[in-house]
Amino acid sequence: MLHAKIIDAIKEKVDIANAQKFITSRKYGASIYFVGTVRDQNNDKKVTGITYDSHDALVIKSFEEIYKEAETKFKFKNIAVYIEHIKGYVELGETSIIIAVACKHRAQAYEFSRYVIEEIKKRTPIWKKEHYEGEDSKWLKGNPLIDQNQSK
Amino acid sequence: MKIKLELFGASRDFSKKDYLEFNLKEKSSIKDLRHEILNFVENNFKGNDNYKKLVKSSAFCSEENNIVSDDYKIIKEQNIGIIPPIGGG
Repeated sequence: MLHAKIIDAIKEKVDIANAQKFITSRKYGASIYFVGTVRDQNNDKKVTGITYDSHDALVIKSFEEIYKEAETKFKFKNIAVYIEHIKGYVELGETSIIIAVACKHRAQAYEFSRYVIEEIKKRTPIWKKEHYEGEDSKWLKGNPLIDQNQSK
Repeated sequence: MKIKLELFGASRDFSKKDYLEFNLKEKSSIKDLRHEILNFVENNFKGNDNYKKLVKSSAFCSEENNIVSDDYKIIKEQNIGIIPPIGGG
């Protein structure tokens, strides 16, 4: 069971209470919440906030693919997964992503959760623009989704 | 054939709008589109090296929301997304 959504920062926030409602069940003995938040430093620069950009349709497709792959890889049955990622401007300390996983046992929950966040980092089309003190800002370098030899 | 290139991530710096438009020949490929974008960078940003690297390292997304290779033939007018290197979470 999967919930996958992009949250527009202008209209909503990523809320752990909603994740809890989705994954809570007497069927599950273990729940893991991974919460990513905006921190105040990166590469020795003082960060004041981050703007997230997203290709919404590809992001949802990617979340669904990662979920299905993880189900196949780990062969867990009866698992609840809640993934939300923000887009738009996010202030320090605010939540950018939540991945909540509930299943029978703790080892499964840890494995599944770790797999989902690492795969999102590798291949989900979300971009970060960091804002710094002094009104400077910069898009962060990321992972290319293509073999760059083909684009020469 | 008119192609609307939807901008994401760092490629948003290419325009104040969230897209660029290109006129491509019939049966053009993603490789041709990439070439047109590099020409755009050459002409509008004095060949900015960082922008050129960005274009060369970007993937492209079809209207059907599939990541497509440089060989992909664009057979109709459509929106195509440029997908620069990603890094969310």
